[in-house]
Amino acid sequence: MTFSDEVLMAYVDDELDESTRSAVESAMAADPEIAGRIAHHRALRNRLRSAFDPILDEPVPQELIDRARNAPAASAAPKKAEVIPLAPRLASRRSLPQWAALAASLLIGILAGRFAFRTGGPALIAAHDNHMLARGLLADALTRQLASQQRTTQPVQMGVSFRSKSGQYCRTFSLRAPAVAGLACHAADGWRLEVLSGTAEQQVGAGGYRQASSSMPPAVVRTVSGEISGEPLDASAEAAARRRDWQP
Amino acid sequence: MTDMGAAIEDLRDEIIGMLPRLRRFACSLTRELHDADDLVQITVERALKRADQFREDSHLAGWLYGILRNAWIDECRSRQRREPAHVPQESAEEVSDPAAGSQAELLCVQDALLQLPEEQRLAVSLVLIEGFSYKEAAHIMNVPIGTLTSRLARGREALQEMLSETPEAQP
Repeated sequence: MTFSDEVLMAYVDDELDESTRSAVESAMAADPEIAGRIAHHRALRNRLRSAFDPILDEPVPQELIDRARNAPAASAAPKKAEVIPLAPRLASRRSLPQWAALAASLLIGILAGRFAFRTGGPALIAAHDNHMLARGLLADALTRQLASQQRTTQPVQMGVSFRSKSGQYCRTFSLRAPAVAGLACHAADGWRLEVLSGTAEQQVGAGGYRQASSSMPPAVVRTVSGEISGEPLDASAEAAARRRDWQP
Repeated sequence: MTDMGAAIEDLRDEIIGMLPRLRRFACSLTRELHDADDLVQITVERALKRADQFREDSHLAGWLYGILRNAWIDECRSRQRREPAHVPQESAEEVSDPAAGSQAELLCVQDALLQLPEEQRLAVSLVLIEGFSYKEAAHIMNVPIGTLTSRLARGREALQEMLSETPEAQP
């Protein structure tokens, strides 16, 4: 039995499948020439490794550690998905420059297009003045659906509801397909979207469905932390807010 | 509610834990330790600046090595522009602290590695020194596995030739 050098190298690198590996091993036992070639490849690997390994034990220059500690980091933590900040802050929404609104419209258009397509229905988000409003199924869910009473089979899942610092009711929501989650706050013209973020499959719970509030994407969690006043509403406060039609 | 600041702090800690390996990798690509440390520093800065691009489900090591590889390639390119005909053959004295014997061995192996074309050097370093699987190394180099294995094989053959004290040619 003869083997190419690439196969013997792959043997040394532990990259062979089970059957090829045992074929190489029996050939190695029977044929000193093959054993010699393997030893040769292994010796090179060991030599490179032992030449460079001492670097691992060298003290790391303090400057590098300081750099890792202090160099500016992207404000977002590790994330998995596209994030569309719809308004930097609730309070400054009115002063959102026109270009930012345009950019947001464009992005939202892309996402909303996918949204509408995937759900096979009308768009769930529409641009309105300088902000985005929930429409259709999404607006209905925001208005009617209680987190405490929803079924996991419903297309929109509500997360937490809370009062914002400016007194509005805000609610997080998520959808399975497309996998997006966001935060919407109730205003005179409807549910305004504050942030929308793609979500990843990993965040779907064991049952195959998104878990309501524990698995919100970082961007949404961050926006909620920035805007929430007090604690999230419990089930009875959520129901009471719905009875008031989410009027502050 | 998750504290996003804490996530960044975790990332910083993990990067610090990776620094020795990143330095070893950088040392296999460049001759001088201060160049290697410059590469690591650029890697750390870029990684943090792009912390939002890091996907939790992707492998931190692979991500950092990929950034270091790109930084090294950028550096090679700009160096070629600055000093077109420069062959980096002189100063070999700057590599770290003494421990003479192992130091000499390191220099010897480094010299051999530096003779390899860039892409073979990367393949050899990632698989043989850093211990990545073919799949991971190909991912870091952004090439198909077949390309990786052929670069690896050619790099190995060249190194065998340069490093074997007793050049008993293999058939």
